[in-house]
Amino acid sequence: MLYFIEDTINGILMGSIYGLTAMGLTIIFGVLKVINFAHGSLLMVGMYVAYWAITLSGLHPYLALVVVIPVMFLFGYLLQDIIIKPIFKAEKEVREPITVIIVTTGIWYILDNLALLFFGPQYRTIENNPLRGKMFELGDMLISAPKFWGFVIAIVTAGAVYYFFQYTRLGRAIRATSLDRDAASLAGINQYKIYNIAFGIGTAVSGIAAITLIPFYNTFPTVGVAFDIKGFIIVVLGGLGSIGGAIVGGIIVGLIESVGPQYMTATWTEAIVYGLFLLVLFVKPSGLFGEKNDW
Amino acid sequence: MTGNESLAPSDNPSGGSAGHSSVSGSNTGHQGVSPRKKIEVFSLLGVVLIAFGLPLIMTSPTYLHIVILIFFYAYLTTSWNMVGGFAGVLPLGHAVFVGIGAYTSTILSLQYGISPWLGMIVGGVIAMGTGVLIGLPTFKMRGAYFALATIAFAEGVRVMVENLNFLGPFNLNGPRGLQIPPVNFGFANFMFQGKEPYYYIILIMLIGVILLTWFISRSKLGYYLNAGGEEPEAAMALGVNVARAKLIAMAMSSFLTALAGTFYAQFSLFIHPKSIISLDLSFEIAFIALIGGRGSIAGPLLGALLLRPVSDFSRIYFGDVFPGLHLVIFGVVLILVMIYQPRGIQEPLTRVYNRLINRLTKEGQAKEAS
Repeated sequence: MLYFIEDTINGILMGSIYGLTAMGLTIIFGVLKVINFAHGSLLMVGMYVAYWAITLSGLHPYLALVVVIPVMFLFGYLLQDIIIKPIFKAEKEVREPITVIIVTTGIWYILDNLALLFFGPQYRTIENNPLRGKMFELGDMLISAPKFWGFVIAIVTAGAVYYFFQYTRLGRAIRATSLDRDAASLAGINQYKIYNIAFGIGTAVSGIAAITLIPFYNTFPTVGVAFDIKGFIIVVLGGLGSIGGAIVGGIIVGLIESVGPQYMTATWTEAIVYGLFLLVLFVKPSGLFGEKNDW
Repeated sequence: MTGNESLAPSDNPSGGSAGHSSVSGSNTGHQGVSPRKKIEVFSLLGVVLIAFGLPLIMTSPTYLHIVILIFFYAYLTTSWNMVGGFAGVLPLGHAVFVGIGAYTSTILSLQYGISPWLGMIVGGVIAMGTGVLIGLPTFKMRGAYFALATIAFAEGVRVMVENLNFLGPFNLNGPRGLQIPPVNFGFANFMFQGKEPYYYIILIMLIGVILLTWFISRSKLGYYLNAGGEEPEAAMALGVNVARAKLIAMAMSSFLTALAGTFYAQFSLFIHPKSIISLDLSFEIAFIALIGGRGSIAGPLLGALLLRPVSDFSRIYFGDVFPGLHLVIFGVVLILVMIYQPRGIQEPLTRVYNRLINRLTKEGQAKEAS
């Protein structure tokens, strides 16, 4: 029973971090109506930025956020502005341009392999890591400290993003664009600038996710691929475009992965996650909290 | 995509085969055989002849191997194109059908001594059933959801194969894959010592699938698919059963893709779940089609002719120094093509080809007149 509780807690902690890695995907989909296949690569870029920022400056891993957030926001902003915007302009009337999906796939391949070219295939871990192997003792249970702080960061980020979209002027403009881009344009909102900003925010959130991962996870060129597929599953479970849905979807996946191995071979849990994903796609594609008209 | 005839330059077989049809539309005023048709038939025959004679000139097994892989990818991409191109959706999990074909024929021949030729058909039928099963619920979804569902299905199958040593009585051998012992060479066993027989088999398969695509693009099904891909609502309003047309396309595409799986298994004599049901293979098929020109007949072949050598040679010459360089090139080419030539490289090449043919026929006509 104790193991069960411990696994459940660990599943919730890791799951919320999964949710945070998927949040950028859901933000970008919510506004641009495009599934960003380069999402995992953005996380990978975030991890390298974090790795170098921490290694070169000697900062505490979580303090590197002050570097990672602006760098990643700018990176996402420029990526959308330079590469994706031209295609949006060419396919104005299409609601969900397939070409954009393809281009993001191209970006995925380029980023992952550029990382391989520049940094090599080796796994990197940060040297000055005050969180390495740290555990909280809760009665007889052990809770990983970096995962606990990751959970806290994930919840705070979700709250901040939600607040931003609901209550700030820019957030409302972004939501207006996502509801009806033509009407928003008529109201004086620059649609493409909104897209750039939304992409930047999504990328910056991936940067935050990278920071939560870096104290206990390796950095390597294809680190994003695992989170890419997992991210798709999480956002579909929670409902594409829903911030809270990403966290809930992440926790569901985290729980399956952490509690499942008590009852079966660990790799089978992966198959269960895929099965659940397909089930949701077939039965309720809008997910738990998604809007019906988005699929 | 209708009305935009896809022709290829005269250095590939599909260009000519596609060319036949355009004669009736674009050339008037000549009774009997027009000069344009004459040129197209001759160039087509020439290309086919060169293709069949190639192993006589190209004796290096390495180069022949590369050409076989080009044809293999062109075949896969042309099969993908039936659903990914004509039906206007984006399947990103076709490797699962390659895997089904490869595993079915290999298991049947290893465990039951059934000829891989027969296993090839069985694998095709199983893949067809699987394709319909995936297509039934997913074709109603928007593009991105369909892409995600196909990825998830393929990945789910890969994980299962990697974890199962036995599926009922069938030995899958889990993550280690299956090895075909190189004994019993001969046609009946689909196993040869040299590379030439494989070359001819894949060449004939490729020509077959291109001809099939050509027939489909000219059939009612082809028009239904086009209409459903471009304007599903309008097509349905006109009474076209879009979902049914897409399902038929999916069935054919998955059947044909599985045949290539058997070919690959017999060619490399080793199948490994991580490489044959991999996301990378699924994406490479889609990339080649998109860069070549999805929904066109020549596009997949052109894409494979352009991209496979790039990837093979950059792997051979830069593999140690710049690992992954060919994938960077793939990505850059893909993005550039999507921005500047959304219909793929077949479009500008078709234009060049048409201009060339027009000039040739004009000269021919001028000669006849004098």
